[in-house]
Amino acid sequence: MNRLPAPFLFLVLMVISCQGLLAADLDALPEFLRSDPFGAIVAPDRGAANLSSSLYGTQHRIMLTGCRGGYVSFQLVVKLPSPSDYTVDVAIPDRTNKVQIDLFREWFHFTDSDRRYYPDALIPVHGTYSSHLPEPDNRIRQQTAQAFWVDVYIAPDTRPGILSGRAQLKAGAKITILPIQLTVLASIIPGEDVVTIDHNSYGSSWLAQQFATSYQHNPDHWFESEQFFRLIHAYHRLFYEHRGIFHQLGYGHSGKVAPEFAPLLEGSGRAKHITSWSLYDRHYGPLFDGMAFSASRRGSRPIPFVYLPINPEWPASYEFWGEAGYEAEFVNVVSQIERHFREKGWTHTNFEVFFNHKKRYKGFPWDGDEVRFPEDLKYFLEYGRLLKKALPADTPVRFVFRADVSWDMEQQFKMLEGVVQLWCASGGILSFYKDAPKMLRKRGDVIWYYGGPPRVTDSSAAITELPLRAWLWGVNGFVHWLTVSPGEDPWFHFNGGQTALVYSVERFGLNEPIPSIRLKIQRDCLQDLVLLDSFKGDKSLDALRAGAARKYNDSTPDDWWNPRPALADLPSDRWLGSAIDDATKHTRQALRDPGASGWYNVHQYALSLQAEAK
Amino acid sequence: MKILPLIASLTFAILATANLSLKEEGSAEMQLELDSLARVGSVMVDGDVCQKIVTERAKQFLFASDPRDEFLAGDNYDVDDAAFNSVKKTLIRLSHLAPFPADVNLWMPIEGHRGKIHLVIRNKNEMSQFWNWGELYGDMAPQMESVLKTGQRITVTSKPGWISVLAPVYNSLGDVVGLIEAVSRVNVDAHENVK
Repeated sequence: MNRLPAPFLFLVLMVISCQGLLAADLDALPEFLRSDPFGAIVAPDRGAANLSSSLYGTQHRIMLTGCRGGYVSFQLVVKLPSPSDYTVDVAIPDRTNKVQIDLFREWFHFTDSDRRYYPDALIPVHGTYSSHLPEPDNRIRQQTAQAFWVDVYIAPDTRPGILSGRAQLKAGAKITILPIQLTVLASIIPGEDVVTIDHNSYGSSWLAQQFATSYQHNPDHWFESEQFFRLIHAYHRLFYEHRGIFHQLGYGHSGKVAPEFAPLLEGSGRAKHITSWSLYDRHYGPLFDGMAFSASRRGSRPIPFVYLPINPEWPASYEFWGEAGYEAEFVNVVSQIERHFREKGWTHTNFEVFFNHKKRYKGFPWDGDEVRFPEDLKYFLEYGRLLKKALPADTPVRFVFRADVSWDMEQQFKMLEGVVQLWCASGGILSFYKDAPKMLRKRGDVIWYYGGPPRVTDSSAAITELPLRAWLWGVNGFVHWLTVSPGEDPWFHFNGGQTALVYSVERFGLNEPIPSIRLKIQRDCLQDLVLLDSFKGDKSLDALRAGAARKYNDSTPDDWWNPRPALADLPSDRWLGSAIDDATKHTRQALRDPGASGWYNVHQYALSLQAEAK
Repeated sequence: MKILPLIASLTFAILATANLSLKEEGSAEMQLELDSLARVGSVMVDGDVCQKIVTERAKQFLFASDPRDEFLAGDNYDVDDAAFNSVKKTLIRLSHLAPFPADVNLWMPIEGHRGKIHLVIRNKNEMSQFWNWGELYGDMAPQMESVLKTGQRITVTSKPGWISVLAPVYNSLGDVVGLIEAVSRVNVDAHENVK
């Protein structure tokens, strides 16, 4: 093989390199269109590709509009056809610092199910981001595009008006600038959500797995360390900043309680009592007084809900179930708990007495979770009695008996009236009982429904269906049953994320969880819902709901309910799981998948109502 | 000066050996305690009551499957709560015989399904050397099969740091109808199975 002369080779390389840089490009996409690492819109979002130019105004200016007290989000995509270094930054200068930019690099997860890449985890970028394409850590050999999530936060006391800014890409000698125009509307997004979105989790051993380096430094005392509690508070903070709440269940199906979830007990029978609040107060004190959120944009606020460690084996030993000793242990310890909370002034949080166990896990002979067999309800009645006995009638501490219900919910709504105050219902089965939310709320109960996050392989806006359904149904909230478990290798062999909305990122040197695109889209949806709901003085709530459903997927609010099936009149222990699926067919057929543009249309609807109201 | 590292190494080796032998000693003591507990359990646990715990319906569905209903077996799992509570209370009391955290679990063979066994009652430390978390039934370990056949207690230390003593449970006919697993760990994990 003949060797090429060095000057010629240099020239060729220069030409190739310059061509690449000349083609360097910076593009802006709405939040609902996710890019892949090669610059194309991911397949599930392509149906909404017509939105791709929706951000741009004249002169290729990014046009953003947002209410105060919330976020406006969009994405930037850096495109470099050949490997190169680059720098990107975004700024909307605001002398008062009321408008702030949060920039995140989007991680492209390789999903094993379809062998494609999807962005989801959002790695915070502080200031200007400089790197190289292909991104060294994401290890995608042919990568030509890197996406960034941009959150523009508009503080509630921002002055309405227009602000200008720009996004800038530097690649080699080429600089690409996208001008940005932000219109700050006068409306303020209310701080209180109309739909509570809960992010559930179980225990805390997963934290040691996901933050293994930190754990390995101090394996014997890690679960008592400041680092551990800071980490738990960071999870709470992350969900709170995204208009959500976080639950951690502190006991297992046979009643084992992890030490940080309960005060320490000693003694037996009438001598059983609490001896130490040390770990419990370090864990929960900053959450119950709100100080864990003092640095957040939403301000300090006590968490609204929390699981108590109460289960059939705690605080009373199941050895004494049905005997005087059980009652004495339960009543004395729960009374002590009430006193401690009252003395601390922890009167804003709802403390949940909740039974999660199922008999199939062999710990106890009745189902606390999703009761199917009606004879199990006698246990609920007994705990209701014990609780009543333990608590002063005029306690300012909010103890609530919570039941997660599915098969037998209709019976439970009747039989446990006055005992259970917080219901967490299977969405499929609740869809048979259109009158239930109104009936429960009328008597002062709280009703949520549960399910799980969509996969990253679903359309970007799939997650908005869950809060929207809650609002259309008139329930108080929705529970993602598991949100902190991204699987063994979410970075290179992702399972799709049906049990994760946040990620742990020791690999990036961060000792905190980070958000996902789905969590951001859910937050923006919640902002729109609370804004929509705030117009109910001008329009009826029914009309607002009908408008949102129509914009979302051309449905009516009735389409979101299933007709009451014949099986609902049978005892729940005679139902079949497959028959429940059949009975929810109506909504599956009536509700068209809106694809990625569904929520964009609802958002526009909310903005149009805002303009009308003005 | 070279002697200092040597002394340090020797001290470390002596301490490590002492620690190991202490652990072994502790483990041997635990085995004795668990064996004694299991021996008592064998006469205290009422096999006739144990046989009443799992309902006929649960047994019928234990091996049922339906591609449209992945939780068919679990959703039909049911027990007689009076029988369950009675045996569970005995198991809890038995566990108090150990001067360290221990559980006593009840295992029973499944009629018509040779080689299969299911855990029927677990307890508050959520310990077992044989249960794979969440499973309704599993393959019978050879040691369990031996206890059911011979009525002889067996100590199992297959998993490092775990000790289980398996002991037979008899009914009024004198048949071995199940077994108890008296179990503990040298190092208890306060967070394991809190899920």
